[in-house]
Amino acid sequence: MTTPRPDVRLADAPMQPVACTTCGAAVLARKSSWDQSSVQWNAAALDRCAERRTTPGPSERTDQRPNRNAFTGCEALRAALREAAVRGILEVQDDEPLKTNPGAHR
Amino acid sequence: MTQENDQIRQIEVDAGPRRFARGWHCLGLARDLADGKSHEINAFGQKLVVFAGEDGSINVLDAYCRHMGGDLSQGTVKGNEIACPFHDWRWGGDGRCKQIPYARRVPLRARTAAWPTMVQDGMLFVWNDPEGNPPPADVTIPRIPQVDSDKWTDWIWYETVIEGANCREIVDNVVDMAHFFYIHYSFPTYFKNVFEGTSAYQYMDGDGREDVRPATPSKTNPTVLGTTSVAAYHGPSFMIDEVTYHYEDLDVDTILINCHYPIDENSFVLQYGIIVEKKEGISDEDAELMAAKTGKFIKYGFEQDVAIWKSKARIDNPLLCEEDGPVYQLRRWYQQFYVDAAEVTPEMTDRFEFEIDTTRPNEAWRAEVEQNLAARQS
Repeated sequence: MTTPRPDVRLADAPMQPVACTTCGAAVLARKSSWDQSSVQWNAAALDRCAERRTTPGPSERTDQRPNRNAFTGCEALRAALREAAVRGILEVQDDEPLKTNPGAHR
Repeated sequence: MTQENDQIRQIEVDAGPRRFARGWHCLGLARDLADGKSHEINAFGQKLVVFAGEDGSINVLDAYCRHMGGDLSQGTVKGNEIACPFHDWRWGGDGRCKQIPYARRVPLRARTAAWPTMVQDGMLFVWNDPEGNPPPADVTIPRIPQVDSDKWTDWIWYETVIEGANCREIVDNVVDMAHFFYIHYSFPTYFKNVFEGTSAYQYMDGDGREDVRPATPSKTNPTVLGTTSVAAYHGPSFMIDEVTYHYEDLDVDTILINCHYPIDENSFVLQYGIIVEKKEGISDEDAELMAAKTGKFIKYGFEQDVAIWKSKARIDNPLLCEEDGPVYQLRRWYQQFYVDAAEVTPEMTDRFEFEIDTTRPNEAWRAEVEQNLAARQS
């Protein structure tokens, strides 16, 4: 098997560095639209993330379903990415304007 | 137009993997394999024999007897050993020849390949590692406590052989949001993938599709308003999918297993199992019926997949639109199972998240559903 190829969609619009405004975790991110996001973490960013640290360990888990105790994502980082996009630090590929009533998604 | 935009895009195909994924692979339900008989399993490019001895432990050995090459999968279980049908050499689960009834002693070097096994939640797992190392303690399959609960049905289990496709095709599905609409009659409204370590998650919410609903819902065929699903591959081949079906008057939890093992580079065995929560107010019979119905629906879904796999081309440079999932990043994650453990890079295992914007797909699909409904009525 050869080395994995890069995502074709990154050819014209690569991932950009963004830091979380809450903990400073440095990730790479990309937004093709206001509601799409890609986030590439590394070990250092994951160590820094405060929400990640509060994810329950194996002994503290309350949900008995096998997949439900994983860390689904950081809300603070999500907000930081959105803010970076609004400020134009993080490029949004789609040129549709930001919806005035976001939050239609969970 | 630039020259690049005018050029015909070519499908590129890299050399396929020459080895089989490192990891735990489910071979089936323990209850089917631990019946005191020998079972032939073709996996990882070779033939294996699976048998349970009198002590109840399930063993997996290379099927070919190191004496004269007899096929142990055609042999007989005697005590805790598998006896070769050719000359009755007795092989233990540890891979050692324990006895040759007609010989004074067993020769040195009478040792064959034995595969590490694990029985968990009713399923038999075998550890494959081309480097021959034992499973690391932290590479595990999560427990499914619901299997042991009276409040859940027993496993309903299906097995099917897929010829003419590499098992990578089925793994691609975990990121392929749009195919759930076009192939599986679902309607994803939320879709996110997370890859980290040896796990690949898929978070998906879906609406029920009015155009595929039963025309007249009944107690045993109620209207599904929507689904909430959290699915994850734990390792290269074993997926647990927790699906909640939302009906008009209640929610029902189900747990679906979608797992496979490679026969060779160009075929694999696909297995899927399902257990369903027995809700209060629903009789055991109705819960079993629902499990069977859901199983049938899933079976149909996989048959749809198979039809695609059989005729599609292998493609290593898929051309993606922004509403597609992270196919490349999934394959990057998947590659960790095909390189030596020492060659696994952070790039393959570092956390990666991808959330699709479903706005545009949902607009298009709503319009299509409405068209289908209009066509049905006319």
